[in-house]
Amino acid sequence: MTDLEYLKLSKPAKMLYDIKHFLAALPGRIGNGLKKLFLSIWNALKNLGHGIADLVPTFINGDWKTKVSYFVMGFGSCARGQWGRGILFFVFQTLFNLYMFFPNAQFSGLYYLGKLSTLGTIETHKEGRRTVYGDNSFFILLYGVLTIFFIIGFIYTWYVNIKQNKISEEILKSGHKLKTTKDDLASLMDEQFHKTLLALPVLGVTVFTILPIIFMILVAFTNFDMTHQPPGKLFTWVGWDNFRTLLSTDTTSYGNTFRQVLLWTLIWAFFATFLNYFLGMLVAIMINKKGIKLKKVWRTILVMTIAIPQFVSLLYVSKMFAADGLINTYLMKWGWISAPIPFWTQPGWARFTIILINIWIGIPYLMLIATGILMNIPEDLYESARIDGANAFQMYQKITLPYMLFVTGPYLLTSFTGNINNFNVIYLLSQGKPLSLELSGNAGYTDLLITWLYKMTVSDTNYKLAAVMGILVFVVLAVINLIAYNLIPSVKNEEDFQ
Amino acid sequence: MKKFLSVVLALAMLLSFASFALADYSGDVKIWVAENVVDFTKEQVEAFKAANPEYANMNVIVEPVGEGDAASNIITDVEAGADIFGFAQDQLARLVAAGALLDVEPGNAEKVAAENDAGSVAAVTLGETMYAYPMTSDNGYFLYYDKSVLSDPSSMEQILADCEAAGKNFYMEINSGWYQTAFFFGAGAQLTFESNDEGQLVKMNSGYASDNGVKALKSIIKVAASPAFVNGSSVSNANNICAIVDGTWDATAAKEALGENYAAAKLPTVDGYQMSGFGGFKMLGVKPQTDDDKLEACDALAAYLTSEEVQIARYNAVGWGPSNLNAQQNEAVQADEALSALAAQLAFCEPQGQYPGEYWSLATALGDDVIADKLDNADDATLLETLKNFEATCEGYLSK
Repeated sequence: MTDLEYLKLSKPAKMLYDIKHFLAALPGRIGNGLKKLFLSIWNALKNLGHGIADLVPTFINGDWKTKVSYFVMGFGSCARGQWGRGILFFVFQTLFNLYMFFPNAQFSGLYYLGKLSTLGTIETHKEGRRTVYGDNSFFILLYGVLTIFFIIGFIYTWYVNIKQNKISEEILKSGHKLKTTKDDLASLMDEQFHKTLLALPVLGVTVFTILPIIFMILVAFTNFDMTHQPPGKLFTWVGWDNFRTLLSTDTTSYGNTFRQVLLWTLIWAFFATFLNYFLGMLVAIMINKKGIKLKKVWRTILVMTIAIPQFVSLLYVSKMFAADGLINTYLMKWGWISAPIPFWTQPGWARFTIILINIWIGIPYLMLIATGILMNIPEDLYESARIDGANAFQMYQKITLPYMLFVTGPYLLTSFTGNINNFNVIYLLSQGKPLSLELSGNAGYTDLLITWLYKMTVSDTNYKLAAVMGILVFVVLAVINLIAYNLIPSVKNEEDFQ
Repeated sequence: MKKFLSVVLALAMLLSFASFALADYSGDVKIWVAENVVDFTKEQVEAFKAANPEYANMNVIVEPVGEGDAASNIITDVEAGADIFGFAQDQLARLVAAGALLDVEPGNAEKVAAENDAGSVAAVTLGETMYAYPMTSDNGYFLYYDKSVLSDPSSMEQILADCEAAGKNFYMEINSGWYQTAFFFGAGAQLTFESNDEGQLVKMNSGYASDNGVKALKSIIKVAASPAFVNGSSVSNANNICAIVDGTWDATAAKEALGENYAAAKLPTVDGYQMSGFGGFKMLGVKPQTDDDKLEACDALAAYLTSEEVQIARYNAVGWGPSNLNAQQNEAVQADEALSALAAQLAFCEPQGQYPGEYWSLATALGDDVIADKLDNADDATLLETLKNFEATCEGYLSK
């Protein structure tokens, strides 16, 4: 299809074409991505191979200082006068050895590493009435992972140490002088300043983000739950069992419940995002319209919902909609209904009520955002449209909406993501209820994946399935975001409004 | 210098011997109890220290942690949890299975078994092992009602008719596994679990999937269909109360809400059978200890805090009904209106044994299905099928 043909298409047809095009291109793009990934892994492996292959000649051809450095890290650097580097290398090696071979076996890295394959075998037992704790699977897993990190770090540092020796030898051979400690320190403030700045953040991210994530991913492959709870009990590896439980295709049990909850999560995220978006925009347009009086009053009234903490307002509203709540009581008093409306007890009603209440708390935010953007749309666009005889809806469709979508595209995406994980609204309003015999694992009809995950960890201490859920939530979000990101106008037609 | 050092060392040794002989344990002991008994517990701990000079230097920390949270918190992190903690009997098996509860010292166990009512002793025992000290025997439910509206609180049909006529609400939390049993047990359908000494539930005795079970389920559906019915069991969250199925913990709130029309009675009959339910208990547990001295101190303190005198004092301070047989004969306890209604009801109740944690959410699911009218027009065969599934799911919770 040529550009001209494409431009002739109607809006829905264009969109359809876009989606088709995107889907058609998807396998190729995934293939390309995979190819790139494999290439980079292959290159990394090749480099690693070269590095390892280089170790032997370096040892054979190196002088005695280099040779000793193979066993005592930093020796070569010290012997060649680079005290700063040498001492750092040596301290690191000492720390590593101390950690790995600590005299008290319970605290040594080697101990944790050795137990990692079983996650502990010594059971907690009692001597008389006194309890003697055995292996703690939790710590074995945590410190085992930490130890592996430490070992990788050590091997890398050891390699750097040897490479430095080689480079130093070459520099000395060519007749140049080596950098002194002072030069090193100066360079850390100058051409190596990025290392100085990033050292702490990288360490922090590794210890506080990457390590816990890897730990959690590993938990998904264990049977860590209420009957395997350290320190009293051991837990151990179970392979893919937990994934099988959650993704099973039978119509009962967890697999079915997972699919139902996932479906509702997506439906909820869709409505919560787009209903709020369009209604909020509508309200903003209405308030912005010329001739509307008391603009500030209307805005203030709406913004009040933001001013009151959600914890208060949501709990209160949830009570209002209860069978004996304000709304039902008055409707019955006025004789409009004879029995309470089951706002929270019927699955369909509960879902509807939640979306409805979410509109009430979501509109003000959108109204504020939309107000700002609407004021930014050049007035002359509307003027010329009016001269051309466009009506209000046409102007909205051709000017306001494209402009809004362009500016707020990324916001829509993040808000969709946020709604998939919108814990507050769901948990404060319904706690995921109503439950049903048709659902397993304490899940209810209004549970999102994230609230179900919360129940699993907090009330059921079912960490193994919760870990699997966490991974699956990530997968769902990643897939949706990647697709949507490529479709939003802000990315696709980046230059439209510039 | 050397001489000085040796003198100091010798002195230090002497001192440590001396302290060893004087005080058994002088470290920290942490206690978790419900918020409204924190002050009471602190007073009793002081009394305990005064009576036992060997523990005078022990540092006891009393923290407010609700009975429901205590078990969850301990299980999440045993080492950081309290040494002695209060909880309700439904948590017992869960705690034992997670290795977070120590069995009662054998000497104390005999005494506990002899001095407390049979239901509470059964509730703290798994298999042959006693795991906690019974503290109260008042965790049951009965009927609070407005005597200006209800002519006859002994029949459910009459209660619902009166409530409907007056345009007032009848409260019962039928989507709770705890309140539901009032129907099932009353109609003669049992559901109990047997546990081994490790807290694992190994056997289920169920009569839910039977004609009696269907009868009970139909009663629940009938009650839920009444326009006066509201699902709930908390007086403070209820309004326009005609009658509410609730427990002694809400006695003060009920008195306030109903004013001079306040009255309490045992549960009514429904469809011709007397409603039953759970008799429940609160207890104190000791977590596993690695230090013998501390363990001894914890045992002694837990035994003291559940003794006859302290149970009577606790009733007088916060109104918790005692599990101790002698304390139950106390005059003040006998004169309590809500407690007598409970006593009348407990005659028809089953002591609450151990249930798998998942049972409670499963029962909520059943109740929610009833409230959502999913079973309204179901015939007996469908209801039986539902109960069969319920039973099968329950059976799936057993440890293999």
